[in-house]
Amino acid sequence: METHTRSASTYDVLRAHGVDRRRFLKFCTMMAAAMGLDATVVPQIVEALETKPRLPVIWLHGLECTCCSESFIRSSHPIAQDVILNMISLDYDDTLMAAAGFQAEENRKRTMKDYSGQYVLAVEGNAPTADGGVYCTVGGETFLNILQETAENAKAVIAWGSCASNGCVQAAKPNPTGAKPIHELISHKAIINVPGCPPIAEVMTGVLTYILTFGALPELDRYGRPKMFYAQRIHDKCYRRAFFDAGQFVETWDDEGAKKGWCLYKMGCRGPTTYNSCPTFKWNNGVSYPIGSGHGCIGCSEENFWDDGPFYERLSSIPVPGIDSTPDAIGAVAAGAALIGVGAHFISTEVRRAAGKKIGSDTEAQGKEGR
Amino acid sequence: MATSTHEFDPQAMGQHPEQYFRREYVWQLPVRITHWVNAACLTVLFLTGLYISHPLLAPSGEAVHHFVMGRVRQFHFAAAMLFTVTFMVRVYWFWVGNNYARSGFPYVWRPQWWADLFRQAADYLRLERGHVHLGHNSLGGATYTVFVIFLGWCQIFTGMALYSESNPGGILNRLFGWVLPLLGGSFQTHMWHHFFAWGFVVFAILHVYIVLYDSTQYGNGLITSIISGYKFYQKGDFKED
Repeated sequence: METHTRSASTYDVLRAHGVDRRRFLKFCTMMAAAMGLDATVVPQIVEALETKPRLPVIWLHGLECTCCSESFIRSSHPIAQDVILNMISLDYDDTLMAAAGFQAEENRKRTMKDYSGQYVLAVEGNAPTADGGVYCTVGGETFLNILQETAENAKAVIAWGSCASNGCVQAAKPNPTGAKPIHELISHKAIINVPGCPPIAEVMTGVLTYILTFGALPELDRYGRPKMFYAQRIHDKCYRRAFFDAGQFVETWDDEGAKKGWCLYKMGCRGPTTYNSCPTFKWNNGVSYPIGSGHGCIGCSEENFWDDGPFYERLSSIPVPGIDSTPDAIGAVAAGAALIGVGAHFISTEVRRAAGKKIGSDTEAQGKEGR
Repeated sequence: MATSTHEFDPQAMGQHPEQYFRREYVWQLPVRITHWVNAACLTVLFLTGLYISHPLLAPSGEAVHHFVMGRVRQFHFAAAMLFTVTFMVRVYWFWVGNNYARSGFPYVWRPQWWADLFRQAADYLRLERGHVHLGHNSLGGATYTVFVIFLGWCQIFTGMALYSESNPGGILNRLFGWVLPLLGGSFQTHMWHHFFAWGFVVFAILHVYIVLYDSTQYGNGLITSIISGYKFYQKGDFKED
């Protein structure tokens, strides 16, 4: 029975769950729009979800908080929740699966064998590498080993969330467990990074729909992120951008500007340096997103965002060992030191002049004229 | 070959000034123009940069009536483009200009260069007049190399990378976008851009002071040389390019 379910298409499974065709088509259209694709691609998505067997997915959890899964099961579209869990054949997910213990691990091994080279490895969280990886073990084995073993025959690897993409909080300084993002642990595999803490549900669905429809990873940027969701900064699509350009900024959390919804730039908003789709999809069924609720972006989808704090200040320290000051503070001190230096030189020159000695009058330089 | 060179006889000097004062055309027109354009650009860049990082004096009323940050950023970007172009012109002139356009190059592998560096530093600290360089001495050359050329490249690369973020996939993003991951992301690139900017302030303080010092103490017309192009030296000066 299970094999039958696995080879069934997403549409078959959805129908079995009572989703009608109209809602199914709505979902496909929404996905095409979300991925920034043209309307002519909708039939392709429909066909893929109707005919292609569901994607076998092994979903591993390493060092993480499960916020990616939480986000994932809260997709905004009415049937998205069903689709997400049904569009893929989630053969192993230690958080969601019914099986436990040896039975669970057996599932993983069986999928790896039966669908060698076909399954997608989705990783939530990352692996600690210090002391042989003992800081995260599943079923008595280090997560590092499990990850590398499972990635071996995977078709592609999806790194869900900032943990898997960038390291996130467990890789923040001083990183006692030596946690490393997935792309630093797995080589020679197509890896797609879907950063965010957590990533937006629609972004996660979009990535899966794309892989299922086109049988390949979407176009990636320099950081291995899908361009369709991470090409632009929060700042460039922010509805408060007009206040930024006007020069109107919130100065304190309870001032007039805060009430009027001015730009949160001076409150440390990371919108100008953060690539994500929050202003487009928003959160919680499109209700709002941090900036919409009057709080600056903390840049959760960016590399090192924990170390780039404090979150409520615009400037942070530069990564020069032993220096923990903002670049502007360091610069001002350096400029001050230069002023003191030239001031001291000027005073000694004047003192010497006052003493009746002219510069150069006692030169010992050999008078020699060149050329 | 003269000795004790600076004991002038004012009368003789007045009658035969050419025996005592020589002048030489040092800074060619492109060098002078790029100097002043870059000086103006760096001033605008630093001041607008300060506003961009610490915006003050919020205008009141509706946002639609104002474009303060937008305008300041526009000036910053315009000055940055002009700086980049003149910087490139100066790089070109390094190759095609006269020998003085190349002076100051850090020949760190030559012991002579290091000797000149330490001698010049000692001369400044002991308030003594030593050799006169018509071009740049080693110390000046090292300062320009670090504070103008190196920092200039740093600012051009980080600045262009940050500017290109508003048009992902554009030509500038393709040319300079790699800088962002190299420095640990957009945020850290901003921090480095700030840090390097202060280098120009430190440089401006040192540069202006030492120019005033040389010009008044050495009497070599250093200040006017960057307007006229001519520098003076005295009979008996140990002159080097």
